[in-house]
Amino acid sequence: MALAKVDTEAFIGEVIESSTSQFVAESRELNGAPPFGAFIKTSGAIPVYGLVFNVCTHSIEPNRRATAYGLTEQELRNEQPQIFELLKTEFEAVTVGYGDDRGPRQVLPPQPPGIHSFVLPCAESEIKALTNNGDYLRCVLSGNRLPVDDLIIASVRHAWAARAFDMPYLVGIGKDLCRLIRDDYDRLSSIMRRISQ
Amino acid sequence: MNELWDDLNGKPMHDLNNNQIGVVTKGSLTEGVEMKLNPDRSVEDVKAGKFVVIEGYKNQFFSMITDLSLDATNPDILLYPPQDGDQLLHSVLNGASTYVTVALRPMLMLEAGEEVVDEPRPVKTIPSHFSKVVEAEEEDVSRVFGSEDRDDRFFNMGTPLDMDTPVCLNLNRFVERSNGIFGKTGTGKSFLTRLVLCGMIKKKKAVNLIFDMHNEYGFQAMKEGSSGDSFVKGLKQLFGNQVALFSLDPASSRQRGIQPDHEVHIAYDQIAVEDVVALQDELQLNPTAAESAYLVAAMYKNKWLRQLLSVDGPGIEQFAEELGANKSSLSALHRKLKRIDSFPFMVTKLEGADAVDTMMDYIDRGIHIVLEFGRQTSMLAYLLVANILSRRIHEQYIKKSEKYYASQNPADKPKQLVITIEEAHKFLNPTTAKQTIFGIIAREMRKYYVSLLVVDQRPSGIDEEVLSQLGTKITALLNDEKDIQGVLTGVSNAAGLRSVLASLDSKQQALMFGHAVPMPVVIKTRNYDEDFYRAMGDLTEEEKAEKAEAASAALFGD
Repeated sequence: MALAKVDTEAFIGEVIESSTSQFVAESRELNGAPPFGAFIKTSGAIPVYGLVFNVCTHSIEPNRRATAYGLTEQELRNEQPQIFELLKTEFEAVTVGYGDDRGPRQVLPPQPPGIHSFVLPCAESEIKALTNNGDYLRCVLSGNRLPVDDLIIASVRHAWAARAFDMPYLVGIGKDLCRLIRDDYDRLSSIMRRISQ
Repeated sequence: MNELWDDLNGKPMHDLNNNQIGVVTKGSLTEGVEMKLNPDRSVEDVKAGKFVVIEGYKNQFFSMITDLSLDATNPDILLYPPQDGDQLLHSVLNGASTYVTVALRPMLMLEAGEEVVDEPRPVKTIPSHFSKVVEAEEEDVSRVFGSEDRDDRFFNMGTPLDMDTPVCLNLNRFVERSNGIFGKTGTGKSFLTRLVLCGMIKKKKAVNLIFDMHNEYGFQAMKEGSSGDSFVKGLKQLFGNQVALFSLDPASSRQRGIQPDHEVHIAYDQIAVEDVVALQDELQLNPTAAESAYLVAAMYKNKWLRQLLSVDGPGIEQFAEELGANKSSLSALHRKLKRIDSFPFMVTKLEGADAVDTMMDYIDRGIHIVLEFGRQTSMLAYLLVANILSRRIHEQYIKKSEKYYASQNPADKPKQLVITIEEAHKFLNPTTAKQTIFGIIAREMRKYYVSLLVVDQRPSGIDEEVLSQLGTKITALLNDEKDIQGVLTGVSNAAGLRSVLASLDSKQQALMFGHAVPMPVVIKTRNYDEDFYRAMGDLTEEEKAEKAEAASAALFGD
């Protein structure tokens, strides 16, 4: 599958920190990060696919914290619009694959995404290609400091939604997961229950 | 939604194009092979006794399912099973953490493209890891069991479970040995027997002599069914003048609207001491009584029984003194043999031809004989008559065979004779099998061209030596552990067949194994109905009328 031409106008963020297994992007809009567990990709010659596992909003200056005003957001926007300019939203993603001329592949990329490359949401076809089996869950399970179970739940729900909530798909992923977590029955039943809720 | 889950948790087999049912995971030559069932198959569709093929790398292994078990990788699952209604978890676990293991017993091994020859090769190896296990296809069945179209030695007995291709019995091999048909009461022994007899008659493989204790082979017999009782055709109706009906009780035959071809009478002089000794169990004779019989016979030769029975009660002491026999044992013998007097078929002197001579005449002409017992259904009458007739026929066969061995002239070759006996454990139990003629026939096998078709519901009562000599065994459901063990005497790797045998349906299912089939197989027996009658060459009423018309036209002109 050839890659669709990157529509840079639709970007949702920009990479500001990058390594082979994870990358951090700054959201284009404040509080406009993709949802937890969403599949994203970076622009560039070798698109890198990631799974959002952390979203945070904080002050642009490292040593300053936002202050509580006791007002609603709308009141704040009317009275103190400048403070929103002093905040930014960042999101972190774990790398689950990269794309080449045959489409998405479930392996780590040869190079990490370039700094300042744009971040875009994945198309449905790309999500399907990345999640056609449970291999991508391996990256999640082996990643550092990840909220593993919740990330699995959120990402599987996205993959499941991309397939119009097709039951046999969910069962297939469940079987793969069962093997990956080495027959941990309690964990499996909890994860599956939360996915299907 | 529920249908969706049903689909996931085990699709019905016939809905799948792919007929793979699992992969081989474990096995040994002695213990058989284990297969993991594909998760898309429901365990409930896989039945013990089913015929499957393991596609090895070089060989195909024709196998039978002998056992099924549910397994789980993690004991926690068994402690906390998924909640009722948690179908998702259930489906996820199915085939991954909880799985079904199926025990298979390879019965026959064929290289790709190889055909079954007369002597099938035993399985000498096992398939490699992860060999595919598929449902047997129609051509596999005919490749292994032959087909009626291919050769006239094959006779269609029924179909494997869940299939429509006929499983055939190799009749040439079948008649070579003595055979057994077993099953509990009401499981269709008589139907199986009738089927096999029809096969032998239709394909002209052997001449049959049937001791028909319950009058169910010759003419019509009653069929027990859910839709009320009905009647099915007997051999005489199906094969007309190829079958002769003899009767011990012509009055009863006539009452049932049957005209027997011959009446059988037995003269006292025809009963030898051996015949009485064979009745030891039935008459509860002790060994000294049997010895006394020999004493009487030594004195009076073949008139011994007539002499003995002609003595009255008080005269018996004097009679014993004359013989030098023990008084009490002789009087016991006398008392017990008096029962024979009450049989209407016993005569002091034969009028007309001897029944055995007539029978031999028929047998030589290749005509099959059904001997009906009418109302003479006592075990004593049955044992006595079957013994006397078989003993004398066997004697004649020995003479004929010896003549043939001497002359080596094909014209002298005796016709293969198959004697069918019911309640066989009465003739062949461990104590009498050594003495009755049937024990001898069963052991000496085909040397004298006589073999047995043993029909019985209590195979454990039959002498083990005889059981192990039976070539082919066809057995319907048996429950008693001893009976199952008895039937499987002389079978290698009997463990797998044991569970199959105990799980047969109580109607229309049978396990066939032994000399005349390349591998053991569970069959759904062929229907004994109009289609069967036609296959046996029976015509409908209209066709008969047409044929008669054509014949008379040919004879007399238009």
